[in-house]
Amino acid sequence: MTDHLSTTFYALADPTRRAILARLVTGECGVTELAEPFEMSLPAVSKHLRVLERAGLITRGRSAQWRPCAINAQPLKEVAEWTERYRKFWEGKFDNLELYLQELKAKEKTNGSKRRGK
Amino acid sequence: MAASGVANSETFTVTTPSDTEIQLTRLFDAPRHLVFEAMSKPEHIKRWWGNLGDGYSVPVCEVDLRIGGKWRFVNRHPKGEAEFYGEYREIDPPGRIVFTEIYAPFPDAPSVVTATLADENGKTRLVATSNYPSKMVRDMVLQTGMEKGAAKSYDRLDEVSMQLATSR
Repeated sequence: MTDHLSTTFYALADPTRRAILARLVTGECGVTELAEPFEMSLPAVSKHLRVLERAGLITRGRSAQWRPCAINAQPLKEVAEWTERYRKFWEGKFDNLELYLQELKAKEKTNGSKRRGK
Repeated sequence: MAASGVANSETFTVTTPSDTEIQLTRLFDAPRHLVFEAMSKPEHIKRWWGNLGDGYSVPVCEVDLRIGGKWRFVNRHPKGEAEFYGEYREIDPPGRIVFTEIYAPFPDAPSVVTATLADENGKTRLVATSNYPSKMVRDMVLQTGMEKGAAKSYDRLDEVSMQLATSR
């Protein structure tokens, strides 16, 4: 895992920041509007936004007054690729184990009928 | 769900029993002693653990199955290698095994894995609980998609954000 991906995971490892991203999926949004659903001060929300911005998960408009936040696809795409691999990691391993156990079971049956024991 | 078509595939679940844990469960159509053996003997582990098709293999699979004994698995995959290692803490066949697990790139974040095997009419239900050093580490692992819901929601986020990105 690259440092870049670690920064993304760190940014995502917080429910408020995930909620902010979920909100931004529906479109650009200003800080005040973003802060509304949270019982949080504007500076606290701004802090979360800085973490997201550093991870490249959001971009912010450059006009001094109104700096709308927008979601950025690239780091999420990297995470999605990684997540898909990881989910499949266990699902695939357990499916393998199930198939392999059937081999073991069949072998044991053959041996067992010779030995008549365990 | 059982897209793989493998028996019992649909019994695979991922849950979070506490802030620092991730729990995997899966039913297997085999008695406990076989599942235990398949999980603890290198010649068996090699066959299922990292063997996910072309380009995958398990070049290293070392198991010193005694309390305090070390284990080390390396999974070679098309994009490189993933190394995991740890130490056995409890070995109680065929029902229970406890070990530490470290994913090599993160040596400071060991987890403790407790695996229990329960008999269900000749089948075996595996419950493997990984306990991480902190909620943050646990969440990072979770966000790597061990929980289907999380993976799905990121997929959705990804889809929508891709649309947003390309519409500019």
